Amino acid sequence: MAVFESTEKMYEILGSLFNKLMEDQVALEKFLAANIIVLFDITEPKGQLWLSPEDGVVCGPLDRTPTVTMTLSGDSCHKFWTKELSMPVAMATRKIKSKGPISKVLKLLPMLKPAYEAYPAIAKEYGLL
Amino acid sequence: MGYIDLDIHLTPEQESIKRETHKFAKEVLRPASLELDKMDPESVIKSDLFWNTMKKGYKLGYHTIFIPDDWGGLGLDPLESHIVLEELAWGSVDFAIGLGVSCFPSFFASMMPNEKLIEEIIEPFCANTDASLIGCWGITEPDHGTDTLAAGTPEFCDPSITGQVKAVRDGDEWVISGQKSAWVSNGTIATHSLLYLNIDPGMGMAGGGIAIVPLNIPGVRKGAPLDKMGQRALNQGEIFFDNARIPAEYMLVDQEAYEGILDLTLATANASMGAMFTGVARAAYEMALDYSRERIQGGKPLFEHQLIKHKLFSMFTKVEACRSLSRAALVYNLCNSPPLIQYSIASKVFCTQAALEVTNDAVQILGGIGLTKEYPAEKFFRDARAGLLEDGANDSLMLTGAHSL
Repeated sequence: MAVFESTEKMYEILGSLFNKLMEDQVALEKFLAANIIVLFDITEPKGQLWLSPEDGVVCGPLDRTPTVTMTLSGDSCHKFWTKELSMPVAMATRKIKSKGPISKVLKLLPMLKPAYEAYPAIAKEYGLL
Repeated sequence: MGYIDLDIHLTPEQESIKRETHKFAKEVLRPASLELDKMDPESVIKSDLFWNTMKKGYKLGYHTIFIPDDWGGLGLDPLESHIVLEELAWGSVDFAIGLGVSCFPSFFASMMPNEKLIEEIIEPFCANTDASLIGCWGITEPDHGTDTLAAGTPEFCDPSITGQVKAVRDGDEWVISGQKSAWVSNGTIATHSLLYLNIDPGMGMAGGGIAIVPLNIPGVRKGAPLDKMGQRALNQGEIFFDNARIPAEYMLVDQEAYEGILDLTLATANASMGAMFTGVARAAYEMALDYSRERIQGGKPLFEHQLIKHKLFSMFTKVEACRSLSRAALVYNLCNSPPLIQYSIASKVFCTQAALEVTNDAVQILGGIGLTKEYPAEKFFRDARAGLLEDGANDSLMLTGAHSL
């Protein structure tokens, strides 16, 4: 059974995570300076999460062209944020596929640090851990 | 001389990157590599000329081509990376490879950054301007060459074939023993290696790991620099490990991810070689074209002889084909993970072969003087010949690439 029972639930949980990330002043400043639009294109359940300097966190379709697209399943997403799935393993085993200049993808990684720290509490709150 | 860029979307900034890198390649790298070409390899790395050239490259950030600007790298986009690599190698493929491979430990650390790696590896390397921190890619071994790159092939998982450098976990450390062969670029001058080693012999070559190893730790010893026919300003040499210990955080990749990350490594390295040997072919073509317009034979410039004209047009076509393929492969594979390895291999194989043919034609057009050191044609030819073997021998790489068709 998938970790996220529905697209709506996934939006609620990951939307909350990304909003927390954007509340972190250091992460926000890095994100705005990088000036990139990130699309998490998620399968099982199907959904899209966007991080955009102009629109902030958007759950669902957005009429923008992403700089970086990360394609992954909901389960991989959960495992990634709980550190059960590392980036090299995810990339090597094709559980995460990325599209966009590697220099931009690599910029994204340090920005996500506060989300790693915040996710276990959020996941616990929703009974996922 | 330069070339007409068929990419009509180049930005003024990209044009400027091309111009500035070409200037550096022409004024600094080319003359230095021609001078160093005459020396034995020990003298090369003892010379002020070599180190001053490296320092100039570092000051301009050419050792950080693939590293994001957040860490202090150049943060070039994939197309800009191609432009820079072609121009650097136009001046000197020896230095282009040396500067390019230097970033491997930090580049890979930036893919999987942790506090220790950021503080101890990535940031100091990016901030380095005196070439006192140099990276290398330690993969090739005395008994293993191109087969180390053949991820995904059946032989790669054969437990009777394993790598010679092995690592064993001991508490919070990894203990490394074994030997890397004389073909490690920057081998004897490097301060850090991105080391590909075996951690699970039961999985054959696929049971690998990738670690960052500082080369000043106890248990590491280096061999003599390799004396070879081409790319003589590129330092290459053996590295020996005898119970060398690294912290666990320096092991970036274990056997679970090894094959996938190896593919990513090869995709980046081979696509970069395609870009660089486009530069080598172009250097030889431009020199031969200039010469053919000046040199009078049979009462008219060489260029006016139909056979020479035909040969030059063939060289021009090959250079343009190299750029088209190598740019497309590098840009695609630096924009997509997982990469399409077959395109990087196609780029490397095609461009190094074309560079050999074009540099050979340049020697032929120059005639007898092409064999002498009065013109760099013979150096370009020797440099190009090495390209068919380094970063994987072309014949074997093609078999690995074919596995993905």
